[in-house]
Amino acid sequence: MRSIIETEGLCRAFGDHHAVDGLSLAVAPGEIFGLLGPNGAGKTTTIRMLSTLLPPSAGAALVCGFDVVTEAEAVRRRIGYVMQQVSPMGHYLLTGREKTEIEASLYHVPRRQVKARAREVLELVGLSDSADRLVAGYSGGMQKRLDLACGLLHRPDLLILDEPTLGLDVQSRHHMWEHIRSLCDEGMSVLLATNYMDEADRLCDRLAIIDRGRQVAGGTPAELKAAIGAPSLDEVFLRHTGHALREEVA
Amino acid sequence: MMVAQEVLALSRRWLLVALRERLSLLFSVLQPAVWLVFFAGALGGAVDPRVVGTGDYIAFAVPGVIAFTVVGNGVTAAMPLLFDKETGYLDKLLSMPIRRSSLILSRFLFQTGMNAAQTLVILLVALALGVRPESGPLGVPAILAVTALLTLALTSAAMALACAVPSHGTFFAITGFVSLPLLFMSNAFVPLSAMPAWMEAVARVNPLTYAIEAIRLLVLRGWSGDVPLSLAALVVACVLLLAVGAWQFARQTSERIA
Repeated sequence: MRSIIETEGLCRAFGDHHAVDGLSLAVAPGEIFGLLGPNGAGKTTTIRMLSTLLPPSAGAALVCGFDVVTEAEAVRRRIGYVMQQVSPMGHYLLTGREKTEIEASLYHVPRRQVKARAREVLELVGLSDSADRLVAGYSGGMQKRLDLACGLLHRPDLLILDEPTLGLDVQSRHHMWEHIRSLCDEGMSVLLATNYMDEADRLCDRLAIIDRGRQVAGGTPAELKAAIGAPSLDEVFLRHTGHALREEVA
Repeated sequence: MMVAQEVLALSRRWLLVALRERLSLLFSVLQPAVWLVFFAGALGGAVDPRVVGTGDYIAFAVPGVIAFTVVGNGVTAAMPLLFDKETGYLDKLLSMPIRRSSLILSRFLFQTGMNAAQTLVILLVALALGVRPESGPLGVPAILAVTALLTLALTSAAMALACAVPSHGTFFAITGFVSLPLLFMSNAFVPLSAMPAWMEAVARVNPLTYAIEAIRLLVLRGWSGDVPLSLAALVVACVLLLAVGAWQFARQTSERIA
């Protein structure tokens, strides 16, 4: 497999609104690839198409070598999707361990390994001590880490993270970064959508800045900064996407 | 095999949440007893036995109370789908390699179990109030089977509605409004023959009527030949509502606008 994600002219329109408009990306196995863009640029729509939740209106996307439309099932078995939203509702009466075990079964982890696998991922994100508390009592950071743990249950080839540190305190963000980095060291590929330029700079091997559904810049953080002589990614981002405020069209 | 694992895992989620909401569970189990004791118990004295066809109004009302319980639980049955849709957790579930139908099937199975338990409680309360079903002990599994069919029909309808509405506010507004007319425009507490003609016509297309008729025959008349007739009508309602439910769910899960 040459690329873990490969899209060719990917489009998604909602009526007249072209949320994603001809996006061609190539993400190599084992890299952390950042997807950056102002609100409404098409990040979430792209992620939803790559996670098989939304069919593209034109173009194609291969994830882990499989087509997201015709081979959705194969894609789903190989990706771990960690959503932007922390949504404890519906789980607030479950413990972290119960939620994790239930999702392990939904990922078809063999029945005898479910408990061990749940324990393993909870340990990995540092939730072992809180595993038997109700999710209702978890802090925002703990819920994010629980969501991350649940994305790892089936040992996916590709982890899709949508704003994994949104709303977290500095300590939690740094912990989350360490977790992501160590997963990558073990060979997992990561697609990271974020609005935090420091996060992208610190974590991403390569990134794409998208705006109005199209890619406006791409490369390693160092390349992007060097190209315009900017000290930080913030300048790079603003140079490519402008200063005007955006309406949220997600 | 994998379907079984998915359905079991999801059922475990429903069961754990239900068991942790103990007060809610207790009240929903006790609710039908209130109807039998206070409503049917009081109204019985004001009802003409020649109209309802029996001197035991509580026995007459048992099927209506069972049906109304299933209506109420149908609303509850769709709540996880409603909230998973709103919180976005449905997306997470759909990004997993699970069958879409497992989400629905697990809820049916869970709800059928809950409704069976509640129906047994209702029958026990009725027994304490002196009701002896004519169909005997074997009538109990038959009543549970009718309840299961009605559960399937109403859970499908509620899930279809949960998929179709823009938010839970609309869902509860509609279910809150529809529940009582659905009950009153059936033969739950009044026989069809005692209704104005237009209401009887409405009641005849109400699936509740056929479930109630089947259970009522089992309670008041025993193994009557008309039981299969009512069951057939109920099965037709199930198939129709299941088709609507499947269509709405497919619409919800395939083309979602972000």
